[in-house]
Amino acid sequence: MQLLLFNAFNGLIQGVFYALMALGLALILSLNSVINMAHGGFLVIGAYLAYTLAPYLGFWGALVVGPIGAAVIGLFVERILIRPLYKRPDPLYTLLLTFGLALIIEDLTRTIWGAQGLPFQVPAALNSPISSVLFFITGYRLLVVGITMAVMLGLYFLLRYSRLGIRIRAGTLDLETVSALGVNIYLLRALNFGLGCLLAGLAGVLAAGILGLTPPMGSSLIMPSFVAIIVGGVGSLVGSILGGLLIGVAAGITTTYYPAASEAVIYLIMLIVLVIRPRGLLGQEGLFE
Amino acid sequence: MEAAPSRPGNERKTVLEAHDIHAYYGKSHILHGVSLRLGEGEIVTVLGRNGAGKTTTMRSLMGLTTVREGRVQMLGHDVTRWPAYKIARLGVGYVPEGRKIFGNLTVLENLVVPEARSGPWTLDRVFKLFPRLGERKAQLGRQLSGGEQEMLSIARPLLLNPRIMLLDEPSQGLAPLIVQEVMQVVRSMRDEGLSVLLVEQNVPLSLAIADRAYILDDGKVVYSGTAAELGANHELVEKLAGATAH
Repeated sequence: MQLLLFNAFNGLIQGVFYALMALGLALILSLNSVINMAHGGFLVIGAYLAYTLAPYLGFWGALVVGPIGAAVIGLFVERILIRPLYKRPDPLYTLLLTFGLALIIEDLTRTIWGAQGLPFQVPAALNSPISSVLFFITGYRLLVVGITMAVMLGLYFLLRYSRLGIRIRAGTLDLETVSALGVNIYLLRALNFGLGCLLAGLAGVLAAGILGLTPPMGSSLIMPSFVAIIVGGVGSLVGSILGGLLIGVAAGITTTYYPAASEAVIYLIMLIVLVIRPRGLLGQEGLFE
Repeated sequence: MEAAPSRPGNERKTVLEAHDIHAYYGKSHILHGVSLRLGEGEIVTVLGRNGAGKTTTMRSLMGLTTVREGRVQMLGHDVTRWPAYKIARLGVGYVPEGRKIFGNLTVLENLVVPEARSGPWTLDRVFKLFPRLGERKAQLGRQLSGGEQEMLSIARPLLLNPRIMLLDEPSQGLAPLIVQEVMQVVRSMRDEGLSVLLVEQNVPLSLAIADRAYILDDGKVVYSGTAAELGANHELVEKLAGATAH
């Protein structure tokens, strides 16, 4: 029983990272119409920036600055590389572009920081388990869940009540009409892309504290994150979160009984969902409804 | 400064002028050199059969379809190939064909999207003009009736406090009573000093409120004149616009 709980909780933490990634991917997919294969790259950027800056800023400073750095680099990438491709309706162009970008970011990381894994130090106080029975629940892991929940709640309020959020939601429905109403859609798409990268960067820093840093950490998280979107339903942000948590926990539980299948089960879930409910768990509904 | 509605357009200050514009959808050539002008405080209607290029003309003026050749000038600026949002910010409101309401957004949220400019049109005033929208503020756009959606589609660009309004088939699919209401709103826009370019398939109604009219056919202007002249010439209207003028 304890082992099952242990694995389920591990899976939940993993699912939190999938959900953060999937949320950013879904935002960028629905407004920018970009299948951002480089999303894992922004996760890596966030993580390594935090690692590099932690000696100067401390853990908490790095936790804030890492994701912001990823967002800033995301804004540059959007402006210089992606924006010229918006006028091509075929998503293949940006898919290939971001796929190439993902490879470049991974190799650059390897060149700058080395291929071997690096540890990311979290404050010692956060590393102790909260009880001897639930030895796997450390303060840091609770922090990961807490921060993620806070960020998702913040995002919900942003999209629900702010003018920017309302315009992002309108833009996912009909970007052209938003533009005809005087909204600078270039800026809107840029901010949305930056927001997605911010979430990826945050996932990177949080994940680094548990999994450590390796250059391919982004590419290993990106496929399950796409699966999370498909399971949750394209177009539904709540669905993406749900999908991420679901496949994370499912993979964790599977580890208890049949570790070799822990990755396969993610795709099995996708298969089952696609057969029974092709639009995903919460597909068809709009954002945050 | 305001001209009486009956004065011919040529004497008015021009607020919008399209000069020989050509536009394409993919490889098909839709507009073959459309030229038209809109004077200050005028209602000008653009008529024509389905597929004559009316909507493409409106989209080209608004910057939503690329003008490959020719020029568009609005309010003293050459806006050819400007992005739509910059044209809107000059003071150009656009009511698209099919209303294009954001269905998953509430009425109020639909009205928060526009980049509001200062002027007489505020949210309160919009709700005064369209009380139904005020009553249904919290409802989703897709839950509104066709008439209410049309009102919302007109209300949105009003918050830009535009000087020019481009209306693409506002009466489409509406009950006759609602159409009257819409036309009354269009008339009141002119009374406020707005210049209105109106694409309509409802020929008698649009000729009744317009000062001047253009007829498009196969992407070209085949007739232009005063609405009164055209209204009196039923045969011409039937021949060119595929509709009767009464």
